[in-house]
Amino acid sequence: MAAAAGPAVRCSLWQRRSLRCGPGPRPVPGGGAPLRLCSTQAVPQAGINKPVIDRIIRVDHAGEFGANRIYAGQMAVLGRSSVGPVIQQMWNQEKDHLKKFNELMVAYRVRPTVLLPFWNVAGFVLGAGSALLGKKGAMACTVAVEESISEHYNNQIRTLIEEDPEKYKELLQVIKQFRDEEQEHHDIGLEHDAEATPAYSVLKTAIQLGCKAAIFLSERI
Amino acid sequence: MATRWPGATPYSPIPAAKNLPGGGTGQERERKVVSKGNQQYPPLRALQASAVLRRASDEHKKEPLASSSQQHFDSPPAGHQPEQKPQGPHPSYTGQGGQESEDYESEEQLQHRILTAALEFVPEHGWTAEAIAEGAKTLGLSVAAAGMFRSDGSELILHFVSECNSKLSELLQKEQKLVQLGEAEKKPIDEFLRDAVEARLRMLIPYIEKWPQALSILLLPRNIPSSLNLLTSMIDDIWHYAGDQSTDFNWYTRRAVLTGIYNTTELVMMQDSSPGFEDTWRFLGNRVADAMAMSSTASQVQSTGEAVVQGLMGAAVTALCWKS
Repeated sequence: MAAAAGPAVRCSLWQRRSLRCGPGPRPVPGGGAPLRLCSTQAVPQAGINKPVIDRIIRVDHAGEFGANRIYAGQMAVLGRSSVGPVIQQMWNQEKDHLKKFNELMVAYRVRPTVLLPFWNVAGFVLGAGSALLGKKGAMACTVAVEESISEHYNNQIRTLIEEDPEKYKELLQVIKQFRDEEQEHHDIGLEHDAEATPAYSVLKTAIQLGCKAAIFLSERI
Repeated sequence: MATRWPGATPYSPIPAAKNLPGGGTGQERERKVVSKGNQQYPPLRALQASAVLRRASDEHKKEPLASSSQQHFDSPPAGHQPEQKPQGPHPSYTGQGGQESEDYESEEQLQHRILTAALEFVPEHGWTAEAIAEGAKTLGLSVAAAGMFRSDGSELILHFVSECNSKLSELLQKEQKLVQLGEAEKKPIDEFLRDAVEARLRMLIPYIEKWPQALSILLLPRNIPSSLNLLTSMIDDIWHYAGDQSTDFNWYTRRAVLTGIYNTTELVMMQDSSPGFEDTWRFLGNRVADAMAMSSTASQVQSTGEAVVQGLMGAAVTALCWKS
């Protein structure tokens, strides 16, 4: 039927916020939408690749949230031990990261992942559990998680650079800085004898697998 | 062989109106179509209703293609259609080909114009292809234009909802600008939500008679992804302008609550016969107040719970001290 000539047209007509007349084969999410002035700094929604940025910010926010909870769990067990101050300092940096992503999330109007309550509990359990294995266990957990996160941030940096380094300059800067700090945490963990943990490689693999799953889910849900 | 169709010659359109809604009167429709325009219709690919609407310049461009495809004409219209389909969307889609004249509008823009014009006829004809046909007529196009759309009027309804959402967005944005310029007071959240939902629902008033029909069409499984998308983006917009900056699970709770308020109020409005829909607005005010009360109750419960836990821990520590 001739009406079927435009299934993709229909698709683009009903794309959220995009019913602005204009040629364009691709549905432009938010394309052409006016600048949204907001009480905080809003980012112009026009011209950015919304699905990609959405995913990036959602998963990074979930990651920093989880990292916060992990350190909280570790502090709950090891807070008064000799590594307490070290963990506290790393935790403070994660808190800053989370604050930054909260701001970015509001500015880009990104939806947080539904799994946040779950990461809340799972992160704490992981932190406390690894800390119960001792100081080295906690450091091993830190090394595993920070290595995963560094790799993940690197992937995102690659993606953004492939897209458009100029347009996403600010975001790239933020992610680069955070990646460097996570790398520092990783090195601190190694310095504190993470590798001397019993069953280090098993523990590390298990934790990194969990991180990969968490990243996969948080990007989508 | 020049023709495959009985009675069709290179210069008489092929009676393929069977592909258009209410197709049986193929010949008649074709004649009506031909006489409506004031130009010679070249070998029309009348199978594609939208082709009928193209201006003469575009039709001439299609001519060489049409004649070559006619020679390969081997199967009935349905079979030939897939070949033809790419022709239609292509020029309109890219909008960049050198073929188009500068004032060429894309198919999407054309559909947008037709649907907007059709809204005027909805109170009379309902959300149907008739309304779309009437709309097309006012634009000087043929009623065959309704063939571009599905016969149940889904696109018309979705178009309307989308337009209402855009209007609401603009309204909220204007209000926000006024607040930022200091020319207006920032409204408390319950008042803001109430006003936003009321403004959005008032846009339904001219079509209120036929709106229940529209709602049922929007709930068809095929339309649910689009209608859900439009609904969620509207609710997100309202919360955004209300100043919601939650980044935790509250994000979902708030939107779920507002969606519930909006949907129930909409249903109440369908059955409201009070003057100026005052029952509906009262209902809306009550629901918003309930939601506010619910959230304050929730936080009260939480702080009470925390206090209780602390009290219990204190009691346990004291008991232990006494024991030892």
